[in-house]
Amino acid sequence: MEHYTMNLTLKVWRQKNTDAQGKFETYPVSGISSEMSFLEMFDVLNERLINEGKEPIAFDHDCREGICGACSMHINGRAHGPWAGTTTCQLHMRAFKDGDTVTVEPWRAGSFPVVKDLTVDRGAFDRIIEAGGYVSVNTGNAQDANNILVPKDKADAAFAAAACIGCGACVAACKNSSAMLFVSAKVSQLALLPQGQPEKKSRALNMIAQMDKEGFGSCTNTGACEAECPKEISLTNIARLNREYIAAGLSYEK
Amino acid sequence: MLNSKIPAGSLDKKWEDYKGHCKLVNPANKRNMEVIIVGTGLAGASAAAALGELGYKVKAFCFQDSPRRAHSIAAQGGINAAKNYQNDGDSVFRLFYDTVKGGDYRAREANVHRLAEVSGNIIDQCVAQGVPFAREYGGLLSNRSFGGTQVQRTFYAAGQTGQQLLLGAYSALERQVALGNVTMYNRHEMLDIVVIDGKARGIIARNLITGKLERHFGHAVLLASGGYGNVFYLSTNAMGSNVTAAWKATRKGAFFGNPCFTQIHPTCIPVSGDHQSKLTLMSESLRNDGRIWVPKKQNDTRKPSDIPEDERDYYLERRYPAFGNLVPRDVASRAAKERCDAGYGVGSSKQAVYLDFAYNMDRYGRIEASKRQLSNPTPEEIRKLGKEVVAEKYGNLFDMYAKITGENPYEVPMRIYPAVHYTMGGLWVDYELMTTVTGLYALGEANFSDHGANRLGASALMQGLADGYFVIPYTLGNYLADDIKTKAISLDHPAFIEAEKNVQSTIDKLMSIKGTKSVDHFHKKLGKIMWDKCGMARNEQGLKEAIVEIQALRKEFWSDVRIPGDANEFNPELEKAGRVADFLELGELMCLDALNRRESCGGHFREESQTPDGEAQRDDEKFSYVAAWEYKGESQFELHKEALEFVECKPTQRSYK
Amino acid sequence: MKWSQFFNTSIGKKLLVGATGLFLCSFVIVHLTGNLSLLKDDGGEAFNIYAAFMSHNPFVQFLAWGLKIIIVLHAILALQLTFRNRAARPVKYAINPGNQTSSWFSRQMAIMGSILLIFILIHLKDFWYLMHYGDLQSVTYGGEEYKNLYSAVYMAFKELWLVVLYVIGMIGLSFHLVHGFKSAFQTFGLNHVKYNGLINFVGVWLFGILIPVGFAIIPVVIYFKSI
Repeated sequence: MEHYTMNLTLKVWRQKNTDAQGKFETYPVSGISSEMSFLEMFDVLNERLINEGKEPIAFDHDCREGICGACSMHINGRAHGPWAGTTTCQLHMRAFKDGDTVTVEPWRAGSFPVVKDLTVDRGAFDRIIEAGGYVSVNTGNAQDANNILVPKDKADAAFAAAACIGCGACVAACKNSSAMLFVSAKVSQLALLPQGQPEKKSRALNMIAQMDKEGFGSCTNTGACEAECPKEISLTNIARLNREYIAAGLSYEK
Repeated sequence: MLNSKIPAGSLDKKWEDYKGHCKLVNPANKRNMEVIIVGTGLAGASAAAALGELGYKVKAFCFQDSPRRAHSIAAQGGINAAKNYQNDGDSVFRLFYDTVKGGDYRAREANVHRLAEVSGNIIDQCVAQGVPFAREYGGLLSNRSFGGTQVQRTFYAAGQTGQQLLLGAYSALERQVALGNVTMYNRHEMLDIVVIDGKARGIIARNLITGKLERHFGHAVLLASGGYGNVFYLSTNAMGSNVTAAWKATRKGAFFGNPCFTQIHPTCIPVSGDHQSKLTLMSESLRNDGRIWVPKKQNDTRKPSDIPEDERDYYLERRYPAFGNLVPRDVASRAAKERCDAGYGVGSSKQAVYLDFAYNMDRYGRIEASKRQLSNPTPEEIRKLGKEVVAEKYGNLFDMYAKITGENPYEVPMRIYPAVHYTMGGLWVDYELMTTVTGLYALGEANFSDHGANRLGASALMQGLADGYFVIPYTLGNYLADDIKTKAISLDHPAFIEAEKNVQSTIDKLMSIKGTKSVDHFHKKLGKIMWDKCGMARNEQGLKEAIVEIQALRKEFWSDVRIPGDANEFNPELEKAGRVADFLELGELMCLDALNRRESCGGHFREESQTPDGEAQRDDEKFSYVAAWEYKGESQFELHKEALEFVECKPTQRSYK
Repeated sequence: MKWSQFFNTSIGKKLLVGATGLFLCSFVIVHLTGNLSLLKDDGGEAFNIYAAFMSHNPFVQFLAWGLKIIIVLHAILALQLTFRNRAARPVKYAINPGNQTSSWFSRQMAIMGSILLIFILIHLKDFWYLMHYGDLQSVTYGGEEYKNLYSAVYMAFKELWLVVLYVIGMIGLSFHLVHGFKSAFQTFGLNHVKYNGLINFVGVWLFGILIPVGFAIIPVVIYFKSI
């Protein structure tokens, strides 16, 4: 792989806090190595801003290995940038070429208010999980793990859904700011496993009720969420969520 | 004098006896007992869930925007448990034995045995929560091997085991939040412990969004704030991982145990340039199927595919035939460093070795071909089938490698090099996980207890969850039972006011420096000192130099750091500054501890103390103790020793040959 | 769970939109089959008899009113969801991904649906109103008197602008159904590799191409016959 350096023009959304008006600022950056990650490029820019006596750009990030789900940049119109199945932190500058203009925005959704610059508040996701994204089993109640048999294909499908990192790219990518992919991933994981059966009806109904309450849009099946999901969570999970909803709604006794 | 409060009796009965005799808090009283938990990784989230389930009023704090982002999420390979599902000779004793031996006889036997005892319960609990562990076709749980063991006892979920376990604990935690038993404080950073009448009674936390300082009362305070590997700047830790909570506790009287015990993980993606902000681990599980080698010729610049088999040096298999590529991490790391230092390294930096899957990819391919009854498969067909098997086991890791390096690891061997990964040291705790400050506990990586001088792979997840789900619910009750008459202490108590004032003045001081250099500038410099002089190999002269350099750097930091913005707003630079300030004190203590320990053990390698063939040479006579350091003021630490006794697991020269 | 609750969530509403949408899909098949008799070279006999049947048979009348209610319900619910979806993103992106992450059709459902709704209103006024309440000449087949809607249609489509309007309406129909048909199945939870291909095929070829082209061809042919 050939390495190269590049000069870019960055247009970044700056917003002092939730209530302030935001606007784009333009920053030229130079000498960026193709081996850097996208966030390392931001580190370089921030270091420069600090040295110039300006405020650095605030953005969420933590593990920088694509699993914590903190990073969340909308890059040139794409949630997490141009690479499929990739978080912002794993996006590398090889994806860009010398002279490119790169526009970076925060996730845009009423349910994800901007905290500062590119940082948003995704507390709505925690509240959706609170509504039912769990198996009610107190510590110490469990039987021997191998007493529960789970067919491999079911276990694999449950894992694929459980791989969701809660980054919110699905909401950011959806033209309706719908959280259906996120909700469906958790509902699917538990609906596929024997452990999730006792609460499957209340779980689906309560999580959807909370999702609506948080103000997320509805799903129009455009598929943008699946295309942008860094963990490539499948739309089949949304279909399963719909099935769970129908089954629960038609038979739940409460 | 340190009292580790290890229960009497034979090793395998200690925990049973403890549980049978510890004091309990009745349900009505639990509702009035408040518990503060700092950190929501595996240890913190599981403790918060378990204590919430018991009925305690829990307040949990994390600096991230959600408890689900704690860095436990990034653990890849798996979690150990003595289930013996594979019928390959595993048992509680063997897990205990492997862990004590793997830790190079610097762990406390009683703690490790308890860990091994509850390991099975963890798997049961996680499966019940819906954690999707890997399974065999019959629907049973699958296992794999990790370094330093000869059995298959590691449970896993592809290369995302930590994620799945943390999400399980996070779900359990959120369930308690919904039930009103746990109150969650996201984006809050603990900046001091409040001690009243010798007992930990609360914390001062900064709301990271508003910048406001908050006082929180708790009958007890639990720190589950993780490890301090970021003192090296470059590590596999998350960017936000820090020592601040543990360090504030140290300054309030909690002793710091074995600070120099750092784990350097052998298989990480090598540094690519000065811009590097963190290092990425390639799971140890890869060593199940990847063979590590370097060219037999120095400075060989040929492509790996052009180097014939007999010109490759599979140095781990050569040096350690019994364990081969699955030697413990400390051994594998030093061996890689030895080869690279001797001029056999590969890649442009020459600071890397190959981790090669070709051999096992072909082996798997042949097995698959035979399963599918293909007669005379071509090498291409075999390779293709083998790739599919490898992709299923490690797909996410291979993808990650490809994204970071731009190379396809299915086609060319990975290049790897050791990197700072885990810290065995941490707050000194007794058998009950209580620090030397009464009512202040430390769980998970934040404490020093179970891994001695080197942690075996897949044991960190086990320890975090053991502490949170199965240990603290008992030991905390034993403490709080005597405290049921204590009413919630007013937040206007002078100790709260004083603590908040101190925190405020530190923040004011940081903000008022208005120097010329960024926080990262200092962090990078500190990291370089630590890596060069307190890293994979340490010696007396280097450590002494490091201490002087760190002191100078600290002085420079406090006179020249520049923090833009204000203190009363969301200000990530201010957060970083506070953390780096603490690392600048901890780094010195690590060097001091490394200097004091004139032996090599586990991850701590003193060049002065090695066997003729370059293996770590312990000195049990002089150093079979836990070094617990008491903070006495800037650059002043007093050493306390907890002698280690080995009853079941007699120390011998650790051999993986 | 009460029905009112069941249909009041975002998914519940989508289920109604999907169900009404699929019903409307079945309607267009029937409607096209009847309308194609306009192209029959019989001076309008078949078409006029069909039209009379459609406007007098009590069962068909019942269905026809049901159909109108369903169209209204489909439109109201879909618009409700659309407004809610728009409100879910108060600040828009400066740069949108366009077709990189989703198909153009799937993003234009509200626009195409609205074009279609306007078209339906014009269409109803043009012919349904005329048939029921307007002044039409009558013709006699086998001793029975029929309204000659056929000749009215032929008169109407002499106007080029109306032909163009109808073609635009059918483009709207096509684009709406290319996504709408398969989307309804996803909303009902029917998504499986075994039959996704079939759903897609029917959605694109039958509802996206064949039927709209079938409809559009009628005014075009009539127009060209007239010149």
